[in-house]
Amino acid sequence: MGNPFFVVWRESLEAFLIAGILYAWLKANDDGGAGRRALFGGLAAGVGLALLLGWALLTVQDELTGEALDLFQTATLLVAAGLITQMVLWMRKHGRTIKAQLHADLSAAAERCGYWGVAVVAALAVAREGAETVIFLYGLAQGGALSALAVGSALGFAAAALTAWLAAKSLARLNIGLLLRLSSILLLVLASALFVTAIDRLIGAGWLAPMLDPVWDTSPLIDDGTTGGKLLADFTGYRARPALTTLLAWGAYWTVVFIGWRKTGHG
Amino acid sequence: MKRALHSAVFGLFLASTAAFADDMPTILLVMKDGRLFPETLEVPANTRFRLEVRNEGPGAAEFESLELKKELVLAPGVTRKLVFHPMKPGSYKFFDEFHPDTAQGRIVAK
Repeated sequence: MGNPFFVVWRESLEAFLIAGILYAWLKANDDGGAGRRALFGGLAAGVGLALLLGWALLTVQDELTGEALDLFQTATLLVAAGLITQMVLWMRKHGRTIKAQLHADLSAAAERCGYWGVAVVAALAVAREGAETVIFLYGLAQGGALSALAVGSALGFAAAALTAWLAAKSLARLNIGLLLRLSSILLLVLASALFVTAIDRLIGAGWLAPMLDPVWDTSPLIDDGTTGGKLLADFTGYRARPALTTLLAWGAYWTVVFIGWRKTGHG
Repeated sequence: MKRALHSAVFGLFLASTAAFADDMPTILLVMKDGRLFPETLEVPANTRFRLEVRNEGPGAAEFESLELKKELVLAPGVTRKLVFHPMKPGSYKFFDEFHPDTAQGRIVAK
């Protein structure tokens, strides 16, 4: 029956970590609570979306609908990666000015925009991984032996929440400048991992050509097929056997981010 | 203009479904109670093929391979098809992410 504790922990960890780091990051930007409310609103909406997506994936009968859902999931990856990147760079540029002119209409409007971004990112993060958890739990429920499984799953959720809470808490202990920089970098690394996953999915579905595949093979060093390697892959975008297209996309992502980072640093 | 774009997209779509219908070899994989049947799938190298994945349950399964860039969640009782593009000869690993302890398999392209 697998290990409900571990599967639920792993599936929900990504969403919880994104939420935890976003929380620490919003706090560092001293937003007065509106951003964090947007975050929790987004998380709640994400749970609803996860149930809906899980149900859609469960009832899918024909290949066409299946492909459409796959494409939808890939799209959510791209949107989340793009929004996180845009948010982090935007805040880096405007964070200080927002505080300075909190009452100016312009920055208030811009701020509201940013909070929508926070809510959407949180919702998408929960929806994507949550849908898989929904299917996993549905499968367990069908298999019977409910109480033992329910305990394992509940513990898995709790452990993932605790992991993220610890991450957010230890981030918050840092001084504000370091916290801001570190949480921004962690968010960008997570966004790059989402982007790499999206590119790989597009290649796997035949929408993108892999060009050269693989370019190299580092699986003797770190195998992304193992549990630890898979976690590394999920959170950093590591691939033991990357395709050239994936590698180029990854390089392009960091080039854009690096230029954006340099530009926004002195704003 | 928009209409032309629509018909072009629709045309591509038809072409892709037509490609779906041609005579690709189909290989069957059964996922059942955290096990894979068979654990080693032999497929022709340098040929497109279709993998039919059936989850006989109980419990959900997730066919996953970073190496093959495929990820597919299957509720119990569900059968889905994955199209694989021509692969170089070699051995490629995959596993059931919901049962990583017992369900490790590989695709051998010859």
